[in-house]
Amino acid sequence: MEPLSSFFGVSVILLGIGIYGLTTKRNAIRILFSVELIYNAANLNIIAFARLRNPPIVTGQVLVLFTIALAAMEAAVGLSIIILVSRLNADIDLSKLSKLKG
Amino acid sequence: MTDLLFLAFAAVTIGAAILAIEARDLVYGAAALGIAFLGVAGLFFLLDAAYVGWFQIAVYIGAVVVLILFTVMLVGPKKGESPLGLKRVSLLAAMLVSLLLGMTGALANATAFPGPDSCGSGCDLSLFSTSLLKNYGVPLEFMSLVMAAAVIGALALSKTDRGQ
Amino acid sequence: MLTSPLFLEIVLFPGLLSIAIIGALLGWLERKVTARVQLRIGPLYASPAGGILQMFADLIKLSFKELFVPENSDAFFFIMAPTTGLVLGAALVGLIPFAPGLQIANIEVGLPAFLAIITLSPTLILLAGWSANSKFPFIGGLRALFQQTAYEIPLWLSALGVIMMAGTMNLAQIVNAQTSGWFILPQALGAFIFLVTSVAEMERLPFDLPEAESEIMMGWQAEYPGVLFLAAQGPGFVKLYAFSALFSVMFLGGFLGPSFLPPLFWMLLKTLIVIVLIMLLRSTFPRVRLDQLLRAGWTTLLSLAILNIGITYLLVVGFPTL
Repeated sequence: MEPLSSFFGVSVILLGIGIYGLTTKRNAIRILFSVELIYNAANLNIIAFARLRNPPIVTGQVLVLFTIALAAMEAAVGLSIIILVSRLNADIDLSKLSKLKG
Repeated sequence: MTDLLFLAFAAVTIGAAILAIEARDLVYGAAALGIAFLGVAGLFFLLDAAYVGWFQIAVYIGAVVVLILFTVMLVGPKKGESPLGLKRVSLLAAMLVSLLLGMTGALANATAFPGPDSCGSGCDLSLFSTSLLKNYGVPLEFMSLVMAAAVIGALALSKTDRGQ
Repeated sequence: MLTSPLFLEIVLFPGLLSIAIIGALLGWLERKVTARVQLRIGPLYASPAGGILQMFADLIKLSFKELFVPENSDAFFFIMAPTTGLVLGAALVGLIPFAPGLQIANIEVGLPAFLAIITLSPTLILLAGWSANSKFPFIGGLRALFQQTAYEIPLWLSALGVIMMAGTMNLAQIVNAQTSGWFILPQALGAFIFLVTSVAEMERLPFDLPEAESEIMMGWQAEYPGVLFLAAQGPGFVKLYAFSALFSVMFLGGFLGPSFLPPLFWMLLKTLIVIVLIMLLRSTFPRVRLDQLLRAGWTTLLSLAILNIGITYLLVVGFPTL
């Protein structure tokens, strides 16, 4: 069985990719991609920690079930906001949308 | 055998994640994100969380990727940022992220968390389901309320006044 | 390894080779059944018996046609989406127990796994419709997305009724839980909802608006030439086979039957009966309009499915003593 630290390694690398995308990209949908990657990294981390005992700590898996559903809802609301913004401004470059006017 | 599977899933996940961030076309990025979710689901299966893995496939790839694709097709093609252009901000971000990775990697060395022994008899679904429904029944009901609020919010946001 | 039973199961039966042959035979069966209902004869000339080799003749004809990709379209998704649909269909058949021990993947959460793989198909159809870079396929892809997303919830809820009665999510054990009575009697409402939603998920008539032949020119499959046309049609037949097999596992007792014939025979017989029933639906009902379809999915079927769960709860737990 694979040592658990390799799973943590994958989760940390995904977190790094997500943070890089979050800070560097300007397109709103690409930022949403990065946020979803960070969610997945956190979920993977929780499931890997839940496997420390035998049988696994079930609370971790229940928590991940909840966070998967919450992330889907957040993506839905975020995407409807993006559609609304693109209808008003015809541009979803977030570096130009920093003022709350309009 | 599990080592090979783990390497395959991990490589697919990390490769698809990088592709999702860096692909020039957003539809390719969304498809790559879907493959990254599939890789994470595979890692869940390797960690004996089968039900959560199938749930991840059904919700993330079956719903979130579809939502993203639908939005990308509605919003239309955008030119986006210059692909792989080295700007100062991205260089700084990459340095900070590698610093983060290095620190975390140094903190969790390979002997700190031993590999788990293969799952015994208690590893079946009944443990998960009794815990979900007995200990966490009330948060489950709250989740449904939050979902209803999210659906109503998304509907209210996307309403257009067409004067019908 | 090459002669291990799992490998033989994957390649021969119930795996890839049998899925391919059964998919082709289902195409022939559909044309025969619809023809008989319409007082015609149907495919006749591709001998030896009643035109049974018709689909293989079609395959040979289509492989001689020119394989092109429309200009300005996205070639990667254009080719990848239907072929991934074939992979999806094969994965579905791999989960089903055809006889005690004859199951490619016996996993503990078999029923949610089947339904989770089904939720991947709207993504593929949307990509296929978008990649053709033309109006009719894109509208067809969007309609398929709306339809399949609307009917997923009643599908999962009707499966929940079966899980509550059987007490397990493992497909082989769901079959074994029906030795004292098939689930179709106590779960009549659930079986009806499952049948209707699976016909909607497979995009067959009367729910085939995304590929309506007379309305939007084959919808999202309009631009597919030659062999890719078979790749776009093939998943439909493989899903028909998989859904009918799942229906007989969930409601008709799977491979259970009187023991003078092998269990595999009973399973295939029940699957065939459900397949012919679904094909008869095609010739009998008119096409449902999109808004009627979506309204039925989100309001009527959803309420019926929740009612079904209430009835199942009372059946399983018993009436609460007051």
